[in-house]
Amino acid sequence: MTRLAYYPGCALQSMNWDYRESIKEVVAALDIELMEIEGWTCCGATAAHSLDEKMSLALPARNLSASQQMGLDLAVACPMCFKRLSHSRQMLLQQKLSGPWTVDPNLAIYDLARFLATDSMLEQIKSRVILPLTGLRVVCYYGCQVVRPPKITGFEDYENPQHLDRIAAVAGATPIDWSFKATCCGASMGIPKKEIGLSLVKKLLHWAHASGAQAIVVCCPLCQSNLDLYQPEIRRQADADPTTPALPILYYTELLGIAFGLEAILPGLNSHLVDPLPLITQLLNH
Amino acid sequence: MLIPEPKFSDAVLVVGAGIAGMQTALDLAAMNHSVYLLDRSATIGGNMARLDKTFPTNDCSTCMISPRMVACARNPRIKIITLAELMDLQGEPGRFTASIRRHPRYVDEKLCIGCRQCVEKCPKKAPNAFNASLDSRKAIHFVHPQAIPMAPAVDTANCIYFQKGRCRACEKVCPTKAVKLDEGKPEDLQIEVGAVILSAGFELALVPQAGEYGHGRYPNVVTSLEYERMLSATGPFGGHPQRPSDGAKPGRIAWIQCVASRDSARNRNFCSSVCCMAAVKQALITREHDAESEAAIFYMDIRAHGKDFDRYVLRAKDTYGVRFVRSMLSQVVQNPENGNLLLQYYDRDSLEQAQEEFDMVVLSAGMKPAPRIMPLLNRLGLALNRYGFVEPDFEQPSNTSREGVFVCGALDGPKDIPESVTGASAAAAGVAALLAEYRSGETVGEEVRSLRDVSKEAPRIGVFVCHCGKNIAGVIQVEALRDFALTLPHVVAAEDFLFTCSTQTQERIKELIRDNGLNRVVVAACSPRTHEPLFRETLQQAGINKYLFEMANIRDQCSWVHGKEPEAATEKARQLIQGAVARASLLEPIEEVVTQVVHRALVIGGGLAGMTAALALADQEIHAILVEKDAQTGGMAREIHHTLEGHSPRRLAQALALRVKTHRNITLYTWAEIKALSGGPGHFSGIVERKGKSVPVDFGAIIVATGGQPYVPSEYFYGLHPGVMTQLELENRLFTHQGPLPHTTVMIQCIGSRREDFPLCSRICCSAAVKNAILLMEKNPAGSVYVLYRDIRTFGFKEDYYKRARDLGVIFIKYEPEAPPEVQVEDGALEVKVFDPASAMHLEIKPEILVLSSGVRPRPEAVSIAKMLKLPMMQEGFFMEAHPKLSPLDFSSAGIFLCGLAHSPRFMEESLAQARGAAARAAGLLLQKEIHTSGVVAEVNRERCCSCLTCVYCCPYKVPSMDAQGISVIDPRKCQGCGICAADCPAKAITLKHYTDAQMAAQTEAASSR
Repeated sequence: MTRLAYYPGCALQSMNWDYRESIKEVVAALDIELMEIEGWTCCGATAAHSLDEKMSLALPARNLSASQQMGLDLAVACPMCFKRLSHSRQMLLQQKLSGPWTVDPNLAIYDLARFLATDSMLEQIKSRVILPLTGLRVVCYYGCQVVRPPKITGFEDYENPQHLDRIAAVAGATPIDWSFKATCCGASMGIPKKEIGLSLVKKLLHWAHASGAQAIVVCCPLCQSNLDLYQPEIRRQADADPTTPALPILYYTELLGIAFGLEAILPGLNSHLVDPLPLITQLLNH
Repeated sequence: MLIPEPKFSDAVLVVGAGIAGMQTALDLAAMNHSVYLLDRSATIGGNMARLDKTFPTNDCSTCMISPRMVACARNPRIKIITLAELMDLQGEPGRFTASIRRHPRYVDEKLCIGCRQCVEKCPKKAPNAFNASLDSRKAIHFVHPQAIPMAPAVDTANCIYFQKGRCRACEKVCPTKAVKLDEGKPEDLQIEVGAVILSAGFELALVPQAGEYGHGRYPNVVTSLEYERMLSATGPFGGHPQRPSDGAKPGRIAWIQCVASRDSARNRNFCSSVCCMAAVKQALITREHDAESEAAIFYMDIRAHGKDFDRYVLRAKDTYGVRFVRSMLSQVVQNPENGNLLLQYYDRDSLEQAQEEFDMVVLSAGMKPAPRIMPLLNRLGLALNRYGFVEPDFEQPSNTSREGVFVCGALDGPKDIPESVTGASAAAAGVAALLAEYRSGETVGEEVRSLRDVSKEAPRIGVFVCHCGKNIAGVIQVEALRDFALTLPHVVAAEDFLFTCSTQTQERIKELIRDNGLNRVVVAACSPRTHEPLFRETLQQAGINKYLFEMANIRDQCSWVHGKEPEAATEKARQLIQGAVARASLLEPIEEVVTQVVHRALVIGGGLAGMTAALALADQEIHAILVEKDAQTGGMAREIHHTLEGHSPRRLAQALALRVKTHRNITLYTWAEIKALSGGPGHFSGIVERKGKSVPVDFGAIIVATGGQPYVPSEYFYGLHPGVMTQLELENRLFTHQGPLPHTTVMIQCIGSRREDFPLCSRICCSAAVKNAILLMEKNPAGSVYVLYRDIRTFGFKEDYYKRARDLGVIFIKYEPEAPPEVQVEDGALEVKVFDPASAMHLEIKPEILVLSSGVRPRPEAVSIAKMLKLPMMQEGFFMEAHPKLSPLDFSSAGIFLCGLAHSPRFMEESLAQARGAAARAAGLLLQKEIHTSGVVAEVNRERCCSCLTCVYCCPYKVPSMDAQGISVIDPRKCQGCGICAADCPAKAITLKHYTDAQMAAQTEAASSR
């Protein structure tokens, strides 16, 4: 049993409950206990760091400190939260941030997807797969937040990250390399400037399809929302080709949930605007 | 008990046998030092051997480098040790002990004859690193076709015997038992040397897999060196580039500049200096090769700062249609449907983002020192700069921080071939000066033997036909040819040999000459290019004039190219031998001209370059006569306070002046000019005219260091408005605190350079502007400095200062030559108007000071020197060296050398390197007792000469001249034996000795008769 402190983040509490549920099911299947930080609050995300630097560091620091008191390494589900927490941690370790927060250099912060992509975890995942997704061609979309900046996030292969590809491969799927792994989906731009959000998502969908993918695997709730929620509108645009199939957008944990045969993730899958079930059932029937 | 101390040694260890290592070895050998030339790989040649063509002459790289390789191999003073690395160095200058580890080749170099049977039979393939893994080679392999030593090496990681204990096919098939798979232990050697030169070269700095341009990820993204191999005729595709993904011909190719250079994020902020020109060259060759191709270069600045480079770039643009797009790319995207690459860039015409698709992308990746050398650099305790290169010293550019250890080539900073060759010669000069007192004093020259007088004898020819292992004999019937030879007129002896070039065969040949009274020899074997000198020496040793030798190439020109038609090949060989014998029968003994060398040099010009050259010679105990026109030495250096890096040229000039005045081996004439220069290499003479008095002087070599001067602008109100000045004048103002500090300064680059009448770059002006801009901002942080430029050429480590200027707030605005800045004077105030492409705005700036970055011009006095010595000049007035790449410091006329601004605009440390290099080149000549010039020279029949001057005009070396009677005179000491004048002379008055019409006619006729 692996025990980790857990910071779910605000997105998972509301719109992205499907990610939350799939995490819950998958970690249980992997004998991982995620212990939610007591009384955790928002990490600040984009809103904080675009307004006030001190606040943007203080908000995550508070949560970090709380998790440290649990004496466990910390797993974070959302890439943005992961990055803000890592940033605060670094500032605290370098003594560039003063406040009533403690940080233990021996306790690590993991972004959950990378944690599951370590060699030992992949071994365990492999042993739990009962419905290998053989023949499912996917591209892995990491989004722009999880890799940047490398000094904070610790990525070395930031132009071509691999961890979701590894997870997809171990689940039996065929991950296809493509040039847009970490290209912006528009993030929260979709709200103030929808046309920008739409055009960025459209580009990603186009290239995913051109690469031969049948689905896109993501690790970020906002990316999932953008790629999924805007897809029907984009498919209704005048220049859209109706013959191109829709691309289901799956969290890596949903992918694993399917491969592990966990029915409990079905409600979450059903909540996607682009229904993944026809593709999955077709695949598993073969 | 006394512990024996190591003796002083004048031997030199050169670590790294690329072009720099080879050049320094040759220069040292010419100065009578013995040299150990090491290389980590199985061959000498380095990176230059991988290039296809070189800029700006588009010469074939292999054609240029293989004569140097052969020269190293043949030089009795140079010992080549391959597969070796320097592990440690103990001791002090003059008496070092070097510990060398030599890795096993598994092939005995002394026994190998290069027949390549082992390679053919080897069953195991591995990726060919020489061709950037674009194709494969065998486990036992030659690194490349011209490898020296000409012996293969075994790659044990890929060899079936070493991995699995089976096979040994190479051993079985080797005709000389040279392959020895069981003799494989690394050998540790200790050698005593006086000095060490590090010339370990560079590797490309690539960011694999993780990089934003997809190298190692997208198959059709290749590096510059990979593309170079694709372009090369000896490369994996025979010179026709192919896309790695599908083998298709790439029609649209894009180059991305500054990959892993000028990259602060990766702590590689320096500029790699050569990639702009390399990309332009590759694009030009691509366009030349395939008229339907498209070539686009994506760049930030085009750094064509070398001699004549801008002309080359213009040619690429105007004549070959290479497209230049100024936009730095952040990413390469692969089109999954076809493997094409998509580049998104900023289009300056539409001022919008544009996207284009290309079939292939070439990354102009930057340089870094080869990682393998880093442990050694650390062990030696050398000072490295922040990028890991050996820190170059301003005043002594080839010295490292450790005395007795020198550096040259790309190891102390990215540089191109001419700069590497210059640095190599400079390092040799440094070593020579250091070890001068330990020099053993022996000169190794050719022994003059008494030769048999064959003039009264009828021709008695010996013909020796070579098997060359299986190289020739595998295709051609050698014994039949030997028998055939005996039937030819004048042939009295014929024999066949397995390897005619072996030492045993030389003895046998000498025996045959003696026993049969032979007076002419024909060898039917390989190429005279590599082996003629060897056989000529054999003849000399046997007492026969060496010009009584002829060679028929029945290997490279016969068995190797007609391998599939053995009968036809044998017939062709028969004809070649028939022709060779016919010519041999008409060959005449030729006397070479011997000149006793005067061990003194004349240095014309007492600036930094001239003084440094004189001192470099003087420190080697060679006397230098230094002639300077002005009252003081120092030249331009006297006028400059600080360099960009903060060194003081004035202080250096003063220090050198003092040394020059007091050195026992220098005679300094100031206020003097040299006149009436005459003579030839080894012995020139002239008259020093000084204040009305004439002093006759003679010397063995001449170094031209006539220097340069600033261009005096006529544009932009210079001389008319007090606020308009040059960079030199601004610097002087700042250092002498004259006038108030300006609040707003505008600098305009490329004044007097890169234009129709002077299309060259003056190289130093960008750095001068950056230097002064930084000074201004530091003195007045609230002020503004605008630099209006065409390209910022702060190459090499000077790039750091460009960044510093930007960090300080200097504003750089690019202008196109078609729309230069406009300057007006309104009510006495300056107004500058310029279009800024970055903001797409028209700017109006009102500076207090307008600084013109005016370029460099040669001194006008150079013209009279050129006339006196018949030295070629570019139309811009700089001297033309013998070869812009491999002989930048030599003139085609032997015995005359060049350095400093007289060569081309350059920084002071570059002039210093050139000066020392020129001194090394001159010393190589001056340290010989006498020089022999080749007997293959043109001779004029005085009665036939009709004074038409054709020979004068057609000679590429400017050798023929008209004497007082108007008859052409060709100095045999200077004639290079090319034969052009003999062919062109309409009166047939000129004969090229050793290639007379009678000889050539006989050969042609005999060769073509059945």
